[in-house]
Amino acid sequence: MSDQHLLEVRDLVVRFRTHDGAVHAVNGVSFDLAAGETLGVAGESGCGKSVTNLAIVGLLPKPAGRVEGGSVKLDGRELTTLKEEELRQVRGSEIAMIFQDPMTSLNPVLRIEEQLIETIQAHREVTKEAARTRAIELLTAVGVANPESRLRSYPHEFSGGMRQRVMIAMALALEPRVLIADEPTTALDVTIQAQVLDLLRRLTEERGTATILVTHDLGVLAGMADRVNVMYAGAVIESGTTDDLFAKPRHPYTVGLLRSIPRLDGETGGKLVPIEGRPPDLVDAPVGCSFYARCAWRTDRCATETPALLAQS
Amino acid sequence: MLRAAMVDPQLARPQRGLWGDAARRLRRNRPAMVGLFCIVLFAAAAILAPLIAPYDPYAMNGSSLDAPSLTHLFGTDLLGRDLFSRVLYGAQISLFVGVGAVVIALVIGGALGAIAGGFGGRVDGVIMRTTDVFLSIPSILLAIGIVTALGRGMPQLTLAIAVSYAPTFARLLRGSLLALREADYVVAARTIGASRLRILVRHMLPNALTPLIVQATLVLATAIIDIAGLGFLGLGPVDPRTPEWGTMLVDARRFMQSAPHIVVFIGGAIVISAIGFNLLGDGLRESLDPKLKR
Repeated sequence: MSDQHLLEVRDLVVRFRTHDGAVHAVNGVSFDLAAGETLGVAGESGCGKSVTNLAIVGLLPKPAGRVEGGSVKLDGRELTTLKEEELRQVRGSEIAMIFQDPMTSLNPVLRIEEQLIETIQAHREVTKEAARTRAIELLTAVGVANPESRLRSYPHEFSGGMRQRVMIAMALALEPRVLIADEPTTALDVTIQAQVLDLLRRLTEERGTATILVTHDLGVLAGMADRVNVMYAGAVIESGTTDDLFAKPRHPYTVGLLRSIPRLDGETGGKLVPIEGRPPDLVDAPVGCSFYARCAWRTDRCATETPALLAQS
Repeated sequence: MLRAAMVDPQLARPQRGLWGDAARRLRRNRPAMVGLFCIVLFAAAAILAPLIAPYDPYAMNGSSLDAPSLTHLFGTDLLGRDLFSRVLYGAQISLFVGVGAVVIALVIGGALGAIAGGFGGRVDGVIMRTTDVFLSIPSILLAIGIVTALGRGMPQLTLAIAVSYAPTFARLLRGSLLALREADYVVAARTIGASRLRILVRHMLPNALTPLIVQATLVLATAIIDIAGLGFLGLGPVDPRTPEWGTMLVDARRFMQSAPHIVVFIGGAIVISAIGFNLLGDGLRESLDPKLKR
């Protein structure tokens, strides 16, 4: 890891205007991503993981969602103030995304070929033939058999795992420096999940792609991520290297998350401990610690201020 | 998929495109096939009219109000003109005006809908409120107004019907596009940096096309009835001798008692062509909707 950060997110604030009032979706998220690094992002549904990612590439649903503060810098270049046309150049070629559901992320009426070639030609001045050759290379790289003939197929002719491979091929088509994988394996079954994750790790390592891997599967994070951000109620509540975080979690939410997953090396017959309650409603700005309502270790002070995380002795 | 490639190619699922799949499903749909048969009959009558019509539709070739016979298949009208020939040429008018009107309506409505649904915002508001105004006027009334304003004649009639149906297409396309805006593959296309126009044309329009095709077929059925309706109201062709179905019905109506065959044959022609497009439209809806697959 070098000191030079490829992606710098500082105090990012995202609000959604709705009829019920402003939804405080992301409240001051900060993190850095170095070249070649894999950053895991964990947290339950609705805690702002995906919104943070969409804000980075400027694809928040308009007009409701807006970045209201903070900055996103790619190689020192501010992204939040870029014009749509400039952002378009960044998307795909410098920051690419993979989505959760490979069944719906490919256009059903276009052949795989057209979608891959489109991606390449959107950013590179190359002939269709060159783009096609590149598409075949990519499909080979992601492990699609008979790439020449498979190029002529429609998405519905692929299985879920194969589609996700195609999505990965599309995302990596232009050798982006940052890859945002938003729950890339959630929709796949476990054996396929392992294959796709292996592939993702191999390809990003080969290319030195920095990766933001969003998942609520802590097992996946343990195997893939160098560092992990734990998000709750639109904020990063704990951050650390994967080893530290799993060995010595400090935030009660992180502790709760770790306790709620089954372990092979735990004592047999041990019960899983769920985190009681639900995440707070983000419509009103939370006062005090956002985890207050569900925390086993709370004190009266927590109702009004958020306690700082201290290094464990 | 790996395994599928290795098994006997005979067993592999045949590779069919979207349209191949739809065509196969359509062939199994009996009502749609009946509809298609009616349309083929209608279109053949229209296109081949000059070849198969036994008499000149404008010339008097028999005595007045002859009953159907071998010399005059459908009998003759008041002026002794061969009704069969006139019905054939009438099909030509209905087909050309109907198809012309639907194509124009598709182009105008499609363009407006694409702009509204694709770009949204204020443009969307203006276009949609305008279509609201048009949709609040019954289409036949609107068509009457336009023909009255522009004067009678076939081009005016075509335009009138086109204008009265364009808002429907605009609405429909805009609605599909709005739903597609949130589709995962559209968001995915945006993340790879595809331009707005490209996403609209490449990713959204093709996926929004099927309801439009279905609607166009169904509108063609109503358009044929509208043409006859306007003709019946005296807003059809300028030349009263023109064998337009609605215009012909006006004369035939007076002899409903003494020579009912005239009304029956003309009405039958209108019904068959309109039902044909209706049945095919319903069949298309079923076969083009992937959710109703199997």
